[in-house]
Amino acid sequence: MAISFMIIRLSPGDPAIARLGAGADPAAIDALRKQLKLDVNPLQQLVSYIVDLLHGNLGTSLQFGSDVFETIRRTLPLTLTYIFFSAFFALLLSIPIGVVLGWTNKASFVYIYRSITSVIIATPNFFIAMVGILLFSIRRDWAPVFGYVAEFPQNLKFLWLPVAINTLIMTAIISRVLQSSIVETKNEEFVETGIIRGVSRPRFFWYYILKPSMAPTVVLMSYMMGTMLGATVILETIFSLPGIGRELVGAVLASDYPLVQGILLFFGVITVALSFLGDICAYLLDRRVKL
Amino acid sequence: MKLQKIRDYADRPGGFGIIVGIAMFAFIALAGIIYPLFGPYKSDAFVGDSFGKPSLTHPFGLDQLGRDVLARTLTAVPSDLGVAFLGVTIPLAIGTILGILLAFVKNRAFVSIVSSLIDGINAFPLLIIAVAMLTVLGPGLVNVVIILTFMNWARYARIARTRAIVVMQQNYIEAARLQGYSKKKIIFRHITPNVSSESLAYALSDFILVIIVVSGLSFLGLAARPPAAEWGAMIADGRTYIGDAWWLTIYPGLALCWSAISLSLIVEGLSRRDRGNS
Repeated sequence: MAISFMIIRLSPGDPAIARLGAGADPAAIDALRKQLKLDVNPLQQLVSYIVDLLHGNLGTSLQFGSDVFETIRRTLPLTLTYIFFSAFFALLLSIPIGVVLGWTNKASFVYIYRSITSVIIATPNFFIAMVGILLFSIRRDWAPVFGYVAEFPQNLKFLWLPVAINTLIMTAIISRVLQSSIVETKNEEFVETGIIRGVSRPRFFWYYILKPSMAPTVVLMSYMMGTMLGATVILETIFSLPGIGRELVGAVLASDYPLVQGILLFFGVITVALSFLGDICAYLLDRRVKL
Repeated sequence: MKLQKIRDYADRPGGFGIIVGIAMFAFIALAGIIYPLFGPYKSDAFVGDSFGKPSLTHPFGLDQLGRDVLARTLTAVPSDLGVAFLGVTIPLAIGTILGILLAFVKNRAFVSIVSSLIDGINAFPLLIIAVAMLTVLGPGLVNVVIILTFMNWARYARIARTRAIVVMQQNYIEAARLQGYSKKKIIFRHITPNVSSESLAYALSDFILVIIVVSGLSFLGLAARPPAAEWGAMIADGRTYIGDAWWLTIYPGLALCWSAISLSLIVEGLSRRDRGNS
């Protein structure tokens, strides 16, 4: 929290000048500085910011004149929903892919798989999204080019392509980590023991192979969800989804300082919460992990 | 003789990927340097009909204003790869030096404060911070480099500090100290070279990420602004016309993929070499 405050306060430049333009009337700049409480020293700024925060007051948006907290509450659920679904589908796909390719001894399959995933990882998400739009929205009429309808059955039509793209990228990264940690687990002695004891197949794969290999994957998963939160900035702009990422870009382009700060704070809280959750899950899966 | 050497290199684990990666990267970097000097069209010259289809004279087609897309794609190389290069090397240098110096600090409280600052910076998604800081700094490629430096030094400092603590316990550092070398000489001649191999390996994979971040910011209109030739900005520009003129978006995108994939081939080859299997 303090960091999100510091990063934006300590960066050189004056938000009031950025908002009004360099040639603006000095009196107007002073007034805006006073409104943003920038006219006192940094320590007082921090104190007044924290006091406001404890009252649940994130300030007022310069663009809309509305409460920042309201704006975030309006836009955040959509973003969280599709990130959650992308993560869910990615996990659902990664487990079979990771187990099969981690268990197989065919080097050529693994090689092909690793090449494909490298290409996906190295491609920027906005380019994948553009290709997706070109293939599915323009060549075929499977998804609208952009826009959004908030009602339930119609919104799936708008959401499936962004979710599919997120899932593709996440699956590439997560299944790769899972695959390599399964290759490592395969060489452990308890795996051999399991084979010799004749443990049944599903039980063997779950307890002896998957569970000990999951810890790094779960930690990565929570980190990836944070990264995906960052990537929403671009995806929501492309698909014109009214989520928090597009709100942030809009706020940045309009130099809407309080709104940027509020959104940044929320991103910070969510990222920290996710990584905490990831660490706990990793610990529950594998008690050797130190918290 | 020379060829034989390359062939030997390619036969070692990961060698093939490294060589292909370097060749791909050299190709696009050279094309980006040579084309603006000797190419037939300028990136901002109007040379034909708007939305001209890809043809022999204009292999990548023409954009909405009749500018040659090939010229624009290649002219963008210095601003894309160049900015990304600066955005990797500057934090690499600063972070590595700070990390090594931090390894010398004995004061517990100071180290834990700086470490938590480093963790805090590392925890945030880079793109979000970059977007937010551009509100205050204002858009522009120079500001992107400043932000990348501001955010990325922490990762290198973390790597360098961990490595430096290990290196400092080695016997050759003890030997250098006993020989009475100055602290400065030990840091720069003995510790830095042994720390930097790890940082360089990370820097190479960070290069890919930074290329994507720079073009992503330009895509949002926050780094290079539209009239400038830059891949992200060109893709954003072509987005409006994607139904009629796919070549406006696809070619700059492919150039982006080409550079990122070439680097990831090198990274993978190197990590495979480290593990020593093929």
